[in-house]
Amino acid sequence: MIVSSAPMRISFAGGGTDLAEFYTQYPGRVISTAIDKFIYIAINRAPFTDHVAVRYSISEEVSHPSQLQHTRVRAALLDLGIENNIEIASFAPIPAKTGLGSSSSFSVALMKGLSAYQGKRIDKREAAEAACRLEIDLVKEPIGKQDQYAAAFGGFNVLQFNPDGTVDVEPLLLDFKKRLGLERRLILFYLGLTRDASSVLTEQKANTAKNIETLKQMSDSVLVFKDAFLRGDFQGIGEMLMAGWNLKKKLASGVSNPVIDTLYDVAINRGAWGGKILGAGGGGCLMLLAPVESRDDIVEALTKAAAGEGLIGAREIPVALVQSGVETLVNSTGR
Amino acid sequence: MENFIEQFSQKSIEVLRKLPKAEIAKAMNILQAAFERDGRIYVVGNGGSLALATHWVADFNKTVFSHHLDEHVHRFQAIRLPSTEEELTAWANDVGFDMVFAGPLRNYLQDTDVLIAISSSGNSENIIRAVELARSQKVPVIGISGFSGGRLNPLSDAKILVPTQPGEYELVEGIHAIVLHIFTKYFKDYFDMLIELQNERKARAV
Repeated sequence: MIVSSAPMRISFAGGGTDLAEFYTQYPGRVISTAIDKFIYIAINRAPFTDHVAVRYSISEEVSHPSQLQHTRVRAALLDLGIENNIEIASFAPIPAKTGLGSSSSFSVALMKGLSAYQGKRIDKREAAEAACRLEIDLVKEPIGKQDQYAAAFGGFNVLQFNPDGTVDVEPLLLDFKKRLGLERRLILFYLGLTRDASSVLTEQKANTAKNIETLKQMSDSVLVFKDAFLRGDFQGIGEMLMAGWNLKKKLASGVSNPVIDTLYDVAINRGAWGGKILGAGGGGCLMLLAPVESRDDIVEALTKAAAGEGLIGAREIPVALVQSGVETLVNSTGR
Repeated sequence: MENFIEQFSQKSIEVLRKLPKAEIAKAMNILQAAFERDGRIYVVGNGGSLALATHWVADFNKTVFSHHLDEHVHRFQAIRLPSTEEELTAWANDVGFDMVFAGPLRNYLQDTDVLIAISSSGNSENIIRAVELARSQKVPVIGISGFSGGRLNPLSDAKILVPTQPGEYELVEGIHAIVLHIFTKYFKDYFDMLIELQNERKARAV
């Protein structure tokens, strides 16, 4: 049995600049941190079953991987030449499509686990590259590269996407006072509206040419965010998030909607410095920065407002920052 | 005599100013990640470096949590290798001194672990063997070296080099002790603050 894991992430700025349509013209940058919400993948060799079993929100048992509905597992198994006698199960602490990058965390943990299954240990960068190849080249998802790298490396990083396709990972060396200071001022509020990143990103990709100047500004703003984090200027970061959010809403029509705008205003009126919707937008999680003394009040007001809007399952998700990236937690194959 | 003391102190201060702060910070992030995944931290070194390793293990496993021992069920797991003289001499006598660290490490090492290698020259063959084993399993290596870092420094993920002239063991080992105490003090303060904030939250919830 092999158990691998990869964290989800919170992205503060630069989303969209990790798409090839942009970074081949100008270096893309994203600043993000891994959080204490992990995807786990368990892989078991099942020599006497003569099938491929994949268990996630549904359970699939097929005689050949090409028959799988799960696009990423199907593509990964076919690519690695694993045709039979394997069981794969995944576990997640929160629903999919919350904007925390969980689908790429899944891919990164999957590639790490499948490599171990084949007797090969891969490092963080190799896991990130394998997941990018799986999602972007093989499955042809219209997504960028930030989530795969954030999940594989863990910790708090500035990721730079170079025109030649390489990715630089620069860890932000924040001491524990700043990390805990940020955790105390960070609110992650799940809206209960799930979203499909692909539809918003497809529009965003199509608009890349039109939005190139905006995206350049967003990429450059990552460096300003970096300095603010190193200073521990959380109010400044909140205010920049607000400015960035207003900028992002211009990128694609589905980034916001009236319900999100209402909740955002509720938080600001209760004292939040600013925030954004995590992920490609259109729903998911509202991430806010707020003074320590206002946070309980903001969460209460958001919960009430979300109920008023009929959002089912909306709630605060407490988060802590983590250093862990992709890991093989268990490997009892003896290899 | 006082001059001699003054000169040694001055030299130590000069070297201290050159401490690779970013690499020490990276090392502490590696240790934090090992803590999060419940991994173990193996420490190896020869002679005085082994003494530093043993001292640090005691501090890191216990002193880090000493203000709140009961609140921390989950603690660091730092282990000096080899952990007994019997194991050390068995490997040295039967296989060779080059294998005194890599030999035992192979029994223990899992993908979730971390290796700290301490070597003033960075060239001790037995240390390099242990580092190569860790690297072959993609286990992160924190390399603590002196002089010009030898082979250890470039092989490490966190490259903590205390740069001196070759042979200045007294300077290097003293500053290695400081680096290891930075690790201890950082996490001690970290966990103190964490508990303080948890208690504050509990008080607010009441």
